[in-house]
Amino acid sequence: MPTHAGTPLIEARDLTRVYRRPRTSLARQGEAVHALREVSLTVRRGERFGIVGESGSGKSTLLRLLCALDQPTSGSIRFDGQEITGRPERALKFLRHSLQIVFQDPMSSLDPRMRVRDLVAEPLVALGEPIGGRVTELLEEVGLPASAADRYPHQFSGGQRQRIAIARALAPRPKVLVADEPVSALDVSVRGQILNLLADLVDELGLTLVFVSHDLSVVRHVCETVAVMNNGSIVETGPVDEVWAAPEHPYTRTLLQAVPTLEGLL
Amino acid sequence: MLSVEGLTVRADAVELVREVSFDIAPGERVGLIGESGSGKSLTALSLMGLLPEGVRASGTARLGERELVGVPEGRLKDLRGREVSMVFQEPMTALNPLMRVGAQVAEVMTLHGRSRAEARARAVELLGRVRLPRPEQLARSYPHQLSGGQRQRVMLAIALANEPGLLICDEPTTALDVTVQKQMLELIAEVAPALLFITHDLAVVAAVCERVLVMYGGRVVESGPIREVFARPRHRYTEGLLAASKLTPRGTRLPTIKGSVPAAGRFPDGCVFRNRCPYASEKCQTEPALTGDGHAYACWHPAD
Amino acid sequence: MRGRVNAGLIAGAVLVGIVVLAALVSFVWTPHDPTLVDASNKLREPGGGYLLGADKFGRDTFSQLMVGARTTLYVGIVAVGIAALIGTPLGVIAGMTPRGWLAELIMRVNDLVFAFPALLLAVMLGAVYGAGTLTAMIAIGVATVPAFARVARAATMQVMVTDYILAARAAGRRRAAIAVRHVLPNIGSMLIVQASVSFAIAILAEAALSFLGFGTRPPIPSWGRMLQESQELLFSTPRLALWPGLAIALAVLGFNLLGDGLRDYLDPKLRRIRAER
Repeated sequence: MPTHAGTPLIEARDLTRVYRRPRTSLARQGEAVHALREVSLTVRRGERFGIVGESGSGKSTLLRLLCALDQPTSGSIRFDGQEITGRPERALKFLRHSLQIVFQDPMSSLDPRMRVRDLVAEPLVALGEPIGGRVTELLEEVGLPASAADRYPHQFSGGQRQRIAIARALAPRPKVLVADEPVSALDVSVRGQILNLLADLVDELGLTLVFVSHDLSVVRHVCETVAVMNNGSIVETGPVDEVWAAPEHPYTRTLLQAVPTLEGLL
Repeated sequence: MLSVEGLTVRADAVELVREVSFDIAPGERVGLIGESGSGKSLTALSLMGLLPEGVRASGTARLGERELVGVPEGRLKDLRGREVSMVFQEPMTALNPLMRVGAQVAEVMTLHGRSRAEARARAVELLGRVRLPRPEQLARSYPHQLSGGQRQRVMLAIALANEPGLLICDEPTTALDVTVQKQMLELIAEVAPALLFITHDLAVVAAVCERVLVMYGGRVVESGPIREVFARPRHRYTEGLLAASKLTPRGTRLPTIKGSVPAAGRFPDGCVFRNRCPYASEKCQTEPALTGDGHAYACWHPAD
Repeated sequence: MRGRVNAGLIAGAVLVGIVVLAALVSFVWTPHDPTLVDASNKLREPGGGYLLGADKFGRDTFSQLMVGARTTLYVGIVAVGIAALIGTPLGVIAGMTPRGWLAELIMRVNDLVFAFPALLLAVMLGAVYGAGTLTAMIAIGVATVPAFARVARAATMQVMVTDYILAARAAGRRRAAIAVRHVLPNIGSMLIVQASVSFAIAILAEAALSFLGFGTRPPIPSWGRMLQESQELLFSTPRLALWPGLAIALAVLGFNLLGDGLRDYLDPKLRRIRAER
């Protein structure tokens, strides 16, 4: 447990997000889809917080709201004491500074027509910060040679691309790193490298980590706390080891039983 | 039943699959494990005669009395779906969105010479066999009305329609949620006449198959009964892969394999794994043969 | 596997190259003065320095074709330029905010312009501002705006749903920066394809307008007007219609082939397949 854990860094209250399907009839409005139903959660400073859910559970919607890439239908999110919902983009600079994201598929999250140098420097450019030698420094931090800066994303393997994405996320020295299924598109033999790298960086830089995954066993390796989502709600939350050892909600139990493991067989 | 000998797949000068040989007995379920670029999918596609343009297979693959490799398209069409059939990863794009699912199942049977009425009736029966609820009603729905898991079951029904001797599944549950995946795996294991199951997921293969082939860099590097291979891997790649698949407790380092999977055609000669292998020596510059009875491996410095 | 430079792309590039070369050379050299009226050469048969013969005013056909290529390219460049400069930003704006009122307005006005025949627009502008190359180019350009706006909008919408746009937003990029840094470079290939196809349409439109007398004014040579002037002699001297007609057909074919070839060559999906091998 990090020693400075305690005060909440992210506090979400009663988040609801309703999408409307496109109309199919002139008379009626499109059907309403509740992607998120009154979700509340608290992430403390320095915590490693995992969010687990299957497709359609609402975990991606929740993630977008926490990153202010989408607006909730109702509810509030306070980041470091400041409300972030309902703000225009230009009033979110502090959040962009403090919170950065690593996406699932590094193939699609890196603009194929930009060089690594520009990709990694993008948050700095956007926030109007000096770049200097930061790109080389960041590449080194994630274990890539300085020469990578002049190449394009497609010249790298999947694991290396995810390293580039991590370097980009670290550029503005954020407090929070949000990782959206960062290893599920990677080969098993490189998955460990990326998880180890993330763990090292979180330790060294004192980051708070929000880690989203469909795989409870990965979350168990990475996080201290977990929130299990199903059907737009958080059905169970608590310390990972407790949830893993004694799941309370029936859905969590189903999820745990469904995960194929090697241990059981051998 | 299926006997593959020296299967090699190339695109121009690049060798993507090299000298792959294996057998599948009737009723046997064999897993083909590999990461991206291992050549596992190309191996499967060459058995179906579905290789992309510019990619050619050589060697032999006999299914019963029939040859599958290097056969002209005209004759393959008869084999495909009747003798061998395949379920792909993506259930969203594999079905025609404008056709009712019952008609799509029936179509593969009329193509191979059944009467329309008979095919219709059997389609409903098949949908029931893949444990879809209320098959008569479900046969009349369109693909977008079904969930991902249901669509994949429809794909399985289509694959089983003509009672093929061999079913090939290429990552059939990768796009599905874990809770749906489990039932799907059980179903596949139950209905497959003989199975070649392709995946990158070791745990999934362990849940379905009896025997396993581990591919890396276009070659089979280890093969054998699944319990033996997983409990006592001999090839250093299999060993590393198994270690990397186990998630150790929080705060500990995960075991890793150094470097990354090279791009196709960039694997080293000799032993394909030697540039990532901690045990590699000069000897590994010569290609190790796949040797051993039952449990075989191609490694100069095997683990004990 | 090497880049898929297909036969169509090569053929298109060669045809377009010939037109461009003819136009460039015509600035410094033509066999004869293309506008020189010389009664002694009236309807002169091919040969003796007059490669393709001369027309009813004694002007050298080959020289006229060369200078006509200039007109053709000039019209194409300006018309496509107008269309791209207006249509692309409109399409990108509409594509980046597909549900906003502005997008709705842009696309509805677009539909209106699209429904209006280009030639009719050119004839009307010609009647008001006087016929001429410039009027024709502007009319063709304006009429081509919707095609660009639609392609740009569709392509932008595809780009906007990718993770790298989300990543750019998360990095704190503003809309304008996303449009310039991420959207434009990634829709560029589709715009280039659209440009070459529009170029072919513009060439045809200019020829048609000149034929109708609403395009390039005499004495500046134009392939369309050469056709028109040869009309009365179609049966006695068919070659006068044949050469400009052939020139138009080949130039249009060239740009179309170039467009199709570029589409295949630049298609990211095809390229990814190549990269994976």
